[in-house]
Amino acid sequence: MRTILTETVARLLVAPAFAVAAAILVKGYADVGDGFAAGVVAGLGVLLLFAAFGARATHRVLPVRRAFAVAVSGLLVALVVGFAPLLAGDPPFTHRPPPEEQVVKLGTLELISAVAFDVGVFALVLGVVVGSLDYAARVRKGDW
Amino acid sequence: MTLLVLPLAVVWLGAALLALLDGRRRFVGWAAVAVLGANVAGLAALGARVTEDGRQELVTGNWPRGVGITLAADELGIIFAVLSSAVLLVALLYEVLAGVRSRTFPSLVLFMAAGLTGLFLTGDLFNFFVFFELSMIPAYVLSVYGDQARRKIGAAFIFAVVNLLGSFIFLISVAGTYHVTGTLEMRDAAERLADAEPASVMLIAVGVFVAFGVKLGLFPFHFWLPPIYVGATPAVAAILSGALANIGAYGLLRFGAALLPAELELGARALVVIGSVSILYGAMQALSRRDVREVLAYSSIGQAGYILVALAVGGRVGFFAAVVYAVVNSANKALLFLTAGLRGWLVGAAFVVGAFSVAGVPPSAGFFGKVAIFQAGVAEESIALLVLLFVGGALSFVYMFQIYQHAFWRPEASAGGREPSPAVLRGLTLGLAGVVVAFGIWPEPLLALSGGAADLLAGDAGESAP
Amino acid sequence: MILLFSGVVAVLFGTGAFLMLKADLFRVVVGMVMISNAAILALIGSGLSRGAAPIHPLPDDRLSDPLVQAMALTAIVIGFAVTALLLAIAYRVYTSHESVDLDELSREEVRRERELEREEISP
Repeated sequence: MRTILTETVARLLVAPAFAVAAAILVKGYADVGDGFAAGVVAGLGVLLLFAAFGARATHRVLPVRRAFAVAVSGLLVALVVGFAPLLAGDPPFTHRPPPEEQVVKLGTLELISAVAFDVGVFALVLGVVVGSLDYAARVRKGDW
Repeated sequence: MTLLVLPLAVVWLGAALLALLDGRRRFVGWAAVAVLGANVAGLAALGARVTEDGRQELVTGNWPRGVGITLAADELGIIFAVLSSAVLLVALLYEVLAGVRSRTFPSLVLFMAAGLTGLFLTGDLFNFFVFFELSMIPAYVLSVYGDQARRKIGAAFIFAVVNLLGSFIFLISVAGTYHVTGTLEMRDAAERLADAEPASVMLIAVGVFVAFGVKLGLFPFHFWLPPIYVGATPAVAAILSGALANIGAYGLLRFGAALLPAELELGARALVVIGSVSILYGAMQALSRRDVREVLAYSSIGQAGYILVALAVGGRVGFFAAVVYAVVNSANKALLFLTAGLRGWLVGAAFVVGAFSVAGVPPSAGFFGKVAIFQAGVAEESIALLVLLFVGGALSFVYMFQIYQHAFWRPEASAGGREPSPAVLRGLTLGLAGVVVAFGIWPEPLLALSGGAADLLAGDAGESAP
Repeated sequence: MILLFSGVVAVLFGTGAFLMLKADLFRVVVGMVMISNAAILALIGSGLSRGAAPIHPLPDDRLSDPLVQAMALTAIVIGFAVTALLLAIAYRVYTSHESVDLDELSREEVRRERELEREEISP
């Protein structure tokens, strides 16, 4: 399925896909979005690469083989953030800082512990999506 | 409060960490054993706390009650949590001693333990579904574990599809409960369901029954079960029948007795019929089979029927019987499936303990399970039920004796060229057999805890009955 | 609105159940996906309410129920994961048996069992 059209479209769309994913991830606290949606959008960007350029070329640009490690690290980050409040004697999944306190802001990004949790979810979802794509891509023997 | 979350946190983090490592290496296997051991110890400590101070509850995220997800431990939950994690620990130990054959095995067992721990300790309906899936997905993968994966993959697909269908029907029931009651907290939902419109609640109850019937392998939903149990390696079969099947028993008790008591009473007659058919069908099929694992698989279907009959009898005596029977049955099945794969000196002894326990011969733990069931039958004052229970017990004795004879008495089976299994594995199963006998000789802790759980359920049923 | 939702859920569930009865593995997977989506729609339908997102609610704002959306999202994630798993299993069935027809698979199973039995009887 490698035509000029698909390759051009893929080239044009990959960078915006990642940018949109980052925006969804960051904006999720006052607007629509979260780690899962961001992970799926970024995964779609990678799918575009796979579809347009094939598995071999994608492997050359992206560390696809690390997908599983990325997914598991994401899960670990999310779990650690979720269960860390236990150390302070709070129930799990307690926000830091708590709702009443002033939050440090970077643009629209509010630095609360839930952001770290969502980054973990993002890595998990992206890793799983890319890992399954890679698994499916190995089917096409001619391409590999 | 920390004690309530710690077992879950430990095993979940451990599972994620070990997923990065190659499970075939010995230290990874032993690390998994250590993590799971910590989980069991934590749950046991929590159990001690629950029996002393009563129900423990916690709302995540410092939210007010009713907003955050509730985690709660009561007698019913903790007894199943300890049991399932302990069975997983024994099965994992067995596989580590025998040599793990896949890089993901230890981590998958830990993920399942995380799912089961969470499931038994959650007080939130939707969270129950999430943990339910977390414990089922490792099961789908584990069902193809071991040699000859090619032969098992077809059965695994059917297993996954049927159980997923059950899960989604359960999810629709959760949606229905939320629509009717406006809450996901189990206790609030139980209160509000009592006043809700009966027709819609009955639909929810049917969905829940189908979901857990599939999980438990009750008669009309059992067809996925035998091929999976026969194809699985001994450790995986022990995990599926000793730990995972507990979801079905626990779910029926929690949802049937605590959340939907009026519907349980209304459907009692139907449940007794389905349970009886399960008992007879399982026993008849088991009688006609010669392969040890096949007999055990059909026996599981029959034993699930006993739990359902006890649940349908209801009241304190029925719920008590259901809990005791579920616990004893899961220990029996773990012991038998692990022993069935072994050969050599004293293996027959371990097997016979399990077989006697299934048949309900003292001094094994199974005796008290059968006694509790008979008490429930007497309380129901139904001659037919008592006859059925007696016939079922007699049949189970016959088929267990038959496979014992077939597997361990035939000269070619014991001496026929097969090497005896490693001594550590035989020691492990003997130890497990010792536990089964110990619970038969000193059943007070089990009976006390089950009694507490039954009081809890019977109390709930009494409160919300009109 | 609830009637519309129930209708769609019923159609989706029925179509999914019909597909699951087919012998083709991939149709079964698609049926599963449809049933999971029926369940998700049922979740959304269970708490239908019109209103603003409850992030910064003013006292007299009408709010939409955030819980259903959280549940639906979680259910979508789970459905996504199990679909991937089912497809992987189906693909493994295809590579190892060169067929995605369940009837054919069970015929092969029976044939193999007969062979095994024959070997057992005449070693």
